[in-house]
Amino acid sequence: MIVVEGLHFSYDGREILRGVDLTFGGEILALVGPNGSGKTTLAKHLNGLLKPVRGRVLVDGMDTRRHTVAELSRKVGYVFQNPEHMFFEETVFDEVAFGPKNLGIRGEELEERVRWALQAVGLEGFEERTPYSLSGGEKQRLAIACVLAMKPKYLILDEPTSGLDGKAEKSVVRTIRTLREEGHGVLLITHDMDLVLELAERVVLLFNGRELFEGSVEEFFELELEEYSLELPELLELAKGLGAGFVRSVEELMEVLG
Amino acid sequence: MREFYVRKSSFLHSLDPRVKIVGTLLGILTLMFFNDPRFLFPVFFLILIAGRILGGIEVRRQLSLLKPLLVIVAFTLFFWPLIYSPWYMGLIFGVSFSLRLLSFGLLTFLLLMTTRQRELILGFVRLGLPYELGLTLTIALRYIPTLYSLAQTIMDAQRSRGLELDRGKPLVRLKKMTAVLIPLIVASLKTAHELSIALESRAFGYGKRRTFLRDIEMSRKDYAALAVIVATFLIAVYLRYSLGLGHVAIYRASS
Repeated sequence: MIVVEGLHFSYDGREILRGVDLTFGGEILALVGPNGSGKTTLAKHLNGLLKPVRGRVLVDGMDTRRHTVAELSRKVGYVFQNPEHMFFEETVFDEVAFGPKNLGIRGEELEERVRWALQAVGLEGFEERTPYSLSGGEKQRLAIACVLAMKPKYLILDEPTSGLDGKAEKSVVRTIRTLREEGHGVLLITHDMDLVLELAERVVLLFNGRELFEGSVEEFFELELEEYSLELPELLELAKGLGAGFVRSVEELMEVLG
Repeated sequence: MREFYVRKSSFLHSLDPRVKIVGTLLGILTLMFFNDPRFLFPVFFLILIAGRILGGIEVRRQLSLLKPLLVIVAFTLFFWPLIYSPWYMGLIFGVSFSLRLLSFGLLTFLLLMTTRQRELILGFVRLGLPYELGLTLTIALRYIPTLYSLAQTIMDAQRSRGLELDRGKPLVRLKKMTAVLIPLIVASLKTAHELSIALESRAFGYGKRRTFLRDIEMSRKDYAALAVIVATFLIAVYLRYSLGLGHVAIYRASS
């Protein structure tokens, strides 16, 4: 369980987080909010990249102020928005092996972890390719594999589908589902409301550094989203127009309509 | 930190960019004449105070920009006493080189903090530099803060993968830096490529003669400031070469 209590954070004299409380366990939690609402700043506190000015963050009881990012990386994996910001090895295999190696894992276990992580994201057979030669969706999945190979309990994904085409997005969505089924907690930072509708189990809305809403996906989509520069997914607009209520997929909508 | 320029209305901000460029260059030249710390110390603080009073830039902000230079300062202070005998003279030279470097930095940053990018280009062009060169120069300066924040992001990404940049022997640390440098270089090349497309798609290099939306003109205040700058420079030359002040001989004739 990750517990955030009364978290405050300021940068350059500007208050970015003004008292955020959050608990997060083995679920897919969507962290949403407009640009500049503090989503990434909050996420960076969860693996110790930022330390709280006031309040505290506990990762399975570990206070992030007393542990290094490297120590916390065994628990919390953070996949940054731009996958290319982490690629530097010559092959996909070495790229994925980098994280576990930093944790001191060698030999057979290392190899086993890399194969497992690549398989989990559907990139088996790519071991000898160059990371930069992959397509957008493959790069994103490789980035997830790089973090996954460290076997963290919790995963933070920052805008994992931005800039991806339909097929690539589907492959990332599938990967996230698999991770959830395998018992990982996934924190999804996104403004993609379709993704929230498709994947999330719980939603937290940040606005101006405050948590304005926390609850189920259904409750979330009952909010006036325009006020927070967010938009209702077209599927829900349609369902609303047809008087079908809350649905999560086209199939569900068709079922409701008979 | 996204850019150096600080939006303020101060005396330095209102000065013609040509005067500021000439001032910065003459300032750097002047600093090269002197190597006596007793002289360089007051000069360093004088620049800081001038930046505060004439440029409206907080002292703390000026100093914070000097942080990256501290690595070189540390090297200088370490090696001069090692290679020079007697060692305390080496230390004096280490201090004086450091002070010069920091003062160069202060002057340059002061120029960048008080001058908009387009004024800077215009200044260079009106001083006779080809436009392409002026643009290249200012783009290079403009991208330092961008690259800095990009490097921060990449470091965060790699730290999240368990990389500990501040642990291990110097050589090990250097090797660890490749995990940051390679993504940084790739991202920079991509940015440069995109920038060149953006420039060309707006007809950069189409004609020989360029026009400018805003032009600059020297006012009486600018001439006065230029006169003060040149006078200061001449006084410095006089102090150093006629009176022989502010300089300690590095290579003794006897040895």
